[in-house]
Order: sequence, then structure tokens, then C-alpha cells
Amino acid sequence: MRTKKIFTIAWENLTQRKLRTSLTTLGVVIGITAIIGIASLGEGFRFEIKERMQQGFELDVLIVIPGSFTAALRQPFTPEEVESVRNVSGVKLVAPLITLPQAKINTTDGKKVNALTVGAVNFSEITQMISERFIPMDGEIPDDNENDTIVLGYKASFLNETTQVNVNENVTMQITIKTPPYTLTINKTLRVAAILEKSGTPGITNFDYWAFIPLNTAIELLGEEAYNIILVKVSDVEQSEQVAKDIENVFDNPYSISILVPIAFMNQVDRILNIVQIFLIAIASISLLVAGVGIMNIMTVSVMERTREIGILKAIGAKSRTVLVMFLAEALLIGIIGGLIGILTGYGISFGLAYALSSFIQPQQETGLQSPETQSIAISPIFSPQWTIIAFIFAIAICIIFGLYPARKAAKLNPVEALRYE
Amino acid sequence: MKMLLEVRDVKKTYRMGKVLVPALRGVSFDVKEGEFLTIFGPSGSGKSTLLHLMGCLDRPDEGEILIDGENVLKLSDDKLAELRLTKIGFVFQFFNLLPRLTALQNVELPLTIAGVPEKEAREKAEKTLKLVGLEARMNHRPFELSGGEQQRVAIARALINDPKIVLADEPTGNLDTKTGWEIVQLMKRLNEEKGQTFIVVTHDPHIAETAHRIVHLKDGVVEGIKEAPRGNRK
Repeated sequence: MRTKKIFTIAWENLTQRKLRTSLTTLGVVIGITAIIGIASLGEGFRFEIKERMQQGFELDVLIVIPGSFTAALRQPFTPEEVESVRNVSGVKLVAPLITLPQAKINTTDGKKVNALTVGAVNFSEITQMISERFIPMDGEIPDDNENDTIVLGYKASFLNETTQVNVNENVTMQITIKTPPYTLTINKTLRVAAILEKSGTPGITNFDYWAFIPLNTAIELLGEEAYNIILVKVSDVEQSEQVAKDIENVFDNPYSISILVPIAFMNQVDRILNIVQIFLIAIASISLLVAGVGIMNIMTVSVMERTREIGILKAIGAKSRTVLVMFLAEALLIGIIGGLIGILTGYGISFGLAYALSSFIQPQQETGLQSPETQSIAISPIFSPQWTIIAFIFAIAICIIFGLYPARKAAKLNPVEALRYE
Repeated sequence: MKMLLEVRDVKKTYRMGKVLVPALRGVSFDVKEGEFLTIFGPSGSGKSTLLHLMGCLDRPDEGEILIDGENVLKLSDDKLAELRLTKIGFVFQFFNLLPRLTALQNVELPLTIAGVPEKEAREKAEKTLKLVGLEARMNHRPFELSGGEQQRVAIARALINDPKIVLADEPTGNLDTKTGWEIVQLMKRLNEEKGQTFIVVTHDPHIAETAHRIVHLKDGVVEGIKEAPRGNRK
């Protein structure tokens, strides 16, 4: 029999039993809707997380610190070590940092400035390194040779809920250097050169609570050039892990330092989200299996009802294979139609759901110091051609697999007995 | 005259639950090409079983059936289906038309199965329906037709593939006497005009008598083969 004719007959048989066909198809629709809904929302969620992580980390910036969890803290980096890191291939830019955690900053009238960490940097280097975060909201980033200046992070500039330090105001930085048995306390007056814009998203390179002073000032104060952090910008993000390895090899003991590779971290998170997504889709697929059982059930009934018809077809010369194909064609049509409708409703529902969710999670009002660290997560579903094709093939495969049993049952009927069937 | 169909010592036993029912206990006869043959006997004599075996719907337990000299026992199920499609036409007591299809579509069905292009199938089905005098009722569904009309559709369906043999199982059994007689006359006419071999199973002696030869079947054996009584011998 011609393929086109087989499908025409199958279609006629299905439309003859409209209610039954639509209910059977509904099962497939629900299964595919669930799969597509979860897949597209999941893709959207992954995309959103990725976006946020990209904002939280400068993906092309590696963070090198002395010491690790497994080995004892080593000495800070020497200028020579910084220089050799600078020479590693794939390194575009290096910005070494000296941290002064013991530093306390006060205004001239004795109010405490909210800076948690003071970092000494070369301003031109750090501006290039994290150009998107190191933007002055007020004032100007000082030149490298302007000593005795300070740049405050957005939140570090607040004295309390409402009062901010003014640009060009002088502040006093007090550092305590302990070299037993002596303890030396130094007070240094610094001019507030700039206040940075809010970094926005949280992350490792969020410097909202930091204060920055010029490197020269710190070296002068501390009397030594010992760096606690080296920020490394790589020329190619994809090569991050290789560059990190090469940097490790610069040191005599590679295990004495730690390198944070944001892209590796992000890839890991993405992998985890991927697993969660696949797990959810697997659960959704169960509903498609249920739909498959429904198809098998209804087709078995249909074969029984049409026993006599099958007998007639066989008596007038239809081969078993023809009967098999005729029934499979019906299952296939249910799969195709259910799959197509399910894909449409799946995307429809995921967009509706995303809309409903985003109107639930209203962004909170931001106020000075207490402003929320996270913005609302607005997930928009993503159309994934890959998942669409997988879901469609899955729908058809389920229908054929579950249709095979009743179709074979029909094909195997003995024509004489089938004709006698009442 | 050439032998179209040879039945050689055919035996068939049915299993009804745990009981074995012998339907045919060694039946032998020949059918000549172009013959109009009736198989006559009371109900339960094995007529329908014999017809099913000759029509390749079933296989005998023992014995041989030769169609055109070919032993059908040795053929695969697919080959048997092909044989039914090309060489055999069936007419049943209960018409066995597909209720969802129109008369025309029912007649087309064997051609559809054979993969004949739609237009060609349609033309041939129309022509065949005309042959049985139903050109005016082509687009009616079976339930809109009388018993006699339904049987004409069934005959048209049996003839559509130009089979060598038309097998009819009590074709008048579900019709009133007058209509039944008309159906028999139609088959007789087709037999004469087209030269197709008709084998008709009946328990009605009047209808049996219209044949060239009558095979008397009783309790699964041939009681006798009678030549045509009223000069309707070929």
C-alpha cells in the first residue's frame, strides 16, 4: 500500500473517533509540555545564572594569592615574583595588591569610615584590570604619582546610613605594625580623591567595602614591597586554566600559592545546573511514559473493536506487515500531533510562568548602606532548538514503541477467526 | 478443460476449548477454470471451512490445495496474502463491508492495498460498480444500502482485481429469497460474461441447483459430486 494512502486511512480512523483520539493525544501533549517547559525555563535559568556570575567575576581575571588551604601561608609575593607572573605567556595584564587589613580610617573629626579592607594598588593598573567596576562616581582616580590619596568604594564611603564622606576631604589612616617586641602605630593623612560607583552584583571583585591607596604610599609606610594578591588578566578566557597552570609553575613550590580561576568555577556551576535540568526533564519524561501506556491501552481496545475489519482487510489480501504499518501510522500521527502541540504549549506555558514569577519577585528598593546585594532574578525562558528536536523525537519514539504491541497484535490476527469475531 | 483448483484429501480439525472438532475429514475434488460450482450441505458440514482453505485464509492440517498447479501449503503468509489479493475474490454472508467507507471506497480497497494509483483505482471501482448495477449508489455508506445492494458492493469488491476465482460463502444467507435469487443471477451472469470461476457455498438446494456442478458435503466428507441437472452444464 502507498505510504500516503496509509496515512490518509490512519488519519480518517483517528478523526472518526475524535474524543478518544484527542484524549490520547492530550497525554502526549502534557508530557511534551512538561519537558519543553522545564527545558526552556532551565535554559533560561542557566543563562541568568551565567550572566550574574559574569557580572560577579571578571571572567578573564585570575586571582593569585600566596598560601593555600593545605599548605601553611607562605610569604607574600616579591616584586620579582610579580614580574615573572607578568612574563607568563597568555597574561595580558598584572596588578599586584598589598592589603592592609590592620588599617583603620577615620575622618578628621574622628568618625569611623566604613572601609573593611584597605588595598594598595597602582591606580592605572587596577583601572585597566577591572575597568567596569573601577569607575569614579565622584572625584577623579588619582595619577600613579599622586601620593597620599585614597579612593573609597561605594559602601566604604558611608559613615552611617545617610552621611557620606566628601571628595577632597582629608581622612586619617592609622596602621599598626607589630615587629615584636615593638609595636609601631603610624597615622597618615590622606585626601579622598574619588568615590567609586556601586559595583552592583556581588562577587570576588566587588570592591564596594574597600578603600584604595597608592602603592607608593603603602610601600613607604610599611617599608617593604610585599604583595598579598596578584590580579592577572588573561588574553583569552578559554585559556584561563592553562595560564593558571603556567603561573603555578613560575613558583618553586606550585602548591604554596592558590589561583582562583573564575571561568572554571563558572563552568562547574553550569555543569551542576545542567545535571539538575536533565534530572528535572527525566522526571517530566515519566509523564510521557504514562502517555505511552495510554496509547497502548487505547490502541489495544481499538484493535479488539476492529478485529472484524482487520479480518476483512486480510481476507482481501492485506499482508500482516500492511496491517502493522496501518496501526503504527495511527500511533505515529498521535506522536507527531501531540509532539507539535506539546512544543507550542510548552513554550507558551514557560513564558507565562516566567512572567508570573517575575511579577511575584519585585525588585526591592535600594537604600544606601542597607541596599540588597542581589537584584531580583527575572528568568526568561530560552527557546532551545536542541531540546525541541529531542522532545519531538522522544514523543514519536514513545508512540511507536507503545503502539508496537497493539499493532503487532492486530497484524498477527488469524483472518478466519477475525472474520468470525462479533 | 484445465484444472484451476485441486483439493486433495484435505483434513482440518478445530479446537473448541479442549474439544477437537473435525471439520473436514479428507475432502478431494477439482474445480475447472470458468466453472460455476456450488458446495452444498447442511450447516456444520464443513462448507465454510473448506471455502476458507480454498481461499488461502487458513491452512489445512493435512492434504494439498493446488491453485493453478501451485501447492499453497508451501507458500509463506505474505505469499498467501498476495494470492488472495490477485487471484481470489471473497463474498461473505454478512457482506463484510467496512462501515466507515462508501460503496466506492469499499470496492477500491483491494486496489488500495495493491498500491494502485488513486485515480486509476477510482475509475476501475466505478466501472465495476456499474457492472453490478450500483452506479447510482456509489457514494453511499453500507448502512444506507439494502442487503442486496450491500452484497452487490461486496461482489464488486471481489471482482475488482480480476481474480481467477470468486469464493462466496452463503452469499444469499442474509437476504430474502427474491434478492438472494437476484444475487445468484448476477453471479451467474458474471461467470458467463467474464469467465471467472465461481465457487458458491450454500445450504439452499435451489441455489445449489443453478451450478454446473454440485459438491455435496456432509460431516466433513464429500458425499457426492453431481453434474448440473437443468442443462446449465457448461
